[in-house]
Amino acid sequence: MANQAPQQVSLQDEAIANLGTGPIPAGPYYRADYFELEREAVFRRTWLQIAHLSELPEPGSFIVRRVDIARASILITRGRDGQLRAFHNVCTHRGTELVSEEAGRRSLFSCPYHMWTFSDDGELRSAPDFERFYVDKSSCSLPRVAVEVCAGLIFINLDPDTDQSLRDFLGPIAPQLEKLPVARATRFSEYTYEIKANWKLTYDNFQENYHLRFIHPRSGAAAVGSDNPFGYPVKFGFHGPHRTQTIWSNPEAAPKPFQGFAFGKALEAALMDGCEMALAKDYFAIFPNFFMLGSPMTPFSHCVIPIAPDRSRGVIRMYWIGEDRNASQRFAREYQMATARDVHAEDREVIEAGQRGLSSGALSHIHMQEQEVLCRHLFHSVDTMVNAYQAQKLAGGERV
Amino acid sequence: MMGKTTLPEGFSELERFVPDWAVTHSADRAARRLDSTSEEREAFFYAANDLAAPALALLDSKPLAELDEAETRLMQLMLSLAHVALAVEIQGDDESRHAVGARHMTITRASADPR
Repeated sequence: MANQAPQQVSLQDEAIANLGTGPIPAGPYYRADYFELEREAVFRRTWLQIAHLSELPEPGSFIVRRVDIARASILITRGRDGQLRAFHNVCTHRGTELVSEEAGRRSLFSCPYHMWTFSDDGELRSAPDFERFYVDKSSCSLPRVAVEVCAGLIFINLDPDTDQSLRDFLGPIAPQLEKLPVARATRFSEYTYEIKANWKLTYDNFQENYHLRFIHPRSGAAAVGSDNPFGYPVKFGFHGPHRTQTIWSNPEAAPKPFQGFAFGKALEAALMDGCEMALAKDYFAIFPNFFMLGSPMTPFSHCVIPIAPDRSRGVIRMYWIGEDRNASQRFAREYQMATARDVHAEDREVIEAGQRGLSSGALSHIHMQEQEVLCRHLFHSVDTMVNAYQAQKLAGGERV
Repeated sequence: MMGKTTLPEGFSELERFVPDWAVTHSADRAARRLDSTSEEREAFFYAANDLAAPALALLDSKPLAELDEAETRLMQLMLSLAHVALAVEIQGDDESRHAVGARHMTITRASADPR
């Protein structure tokens, strides 16, 4: 697989024929009004990856996640019955954020303001002097948020009317994710970054290889070669709003001596964990803002979280199966995390430079070549939802 | 440091790196890499490079929870070596330029971190 030629993108391919070849409007990558539309049309209406099952290991575990673009705080609980539930982290009395901790273990949640107390299934258990209210407790439960799990990855959907299951949303990608280490992971390493750039611009950097030889001349040396000077993928895949690529790597690139030693330790650990290598080169782009690499040696996910039109946060996690088994595995996990971090560290500056250029308003359009088709596909997926939302609004069908 | 042994037998060559590189948390190891000079990184890397295999072989001989203080320090040196090796072996003279971006990548959790 490693020495396959890069894929020639066929514009006749049914999955991408409608993407066209023309320039892409620049406004969606910096304009506040477009970001507002994305907030409603995309992020409040689709499944969003938000956490991992290992963060809620036992009954009574809970986590709280802020979803900035939806201006929401989400409480996810694992009930005494073992069931996962998600709620808006909002006291139903007068709207106070209920839980301030990021994570913990308990089954009752009391609002600090007037001590309304909710159980982990969202029901209002008690409220002081409740007889003076004009409602029943049963109508004061925490607002539910749809939550489902695939491959250990927890997704939420903020659309109260959603009728699409997570499995339907992920389509053929779901069974592939289930084969990855993340599906069996019990812990993770994590690093994050703040970036002054639009979420799509940031995300796009990680789904095109055109920049590799210029931005990663050392850390990405094995990703390019004389047969494939830009390191273009050997395969693209399109599945609804999601994308995949199969990464090319240079069969002639020998690792540096210590790097080879560390990779050997990582491979040994992956094999001992019983990981499959079949998807090791596959990179899954889950709409709208989540990536997962199939490599059992570098099993990372990358979530690009929108904060503002020109500001995002990246969260990268390496998902591990089990505790560090021994010193070699602990060393390999540290080396693999540091390796991925080195690559990601090199991208941030040039993405921000791109944002500064776009935000100046100097360009009405940007250009994407054939091998940037995944970026084009993301834009079209977002823009299709934005257009549908606007049409629905015009028709008077806006949901509140 | 003369005469004082804080590492398992056979690793005395690494003794002089203990104060700077035997670090408990991954984020601190990454920070130490960024704050060190190229001379410090190279001295550590070239001294520790050939000792990594025997060090891990020794440490692999018992469960991680049973490592004594000297072995724990050796483990921490190996974990720092993971970061330093990338600086010396991969980035080379690009390391100072690379460090500008690396400072923005915040390690919030690592498998090796104590719970």
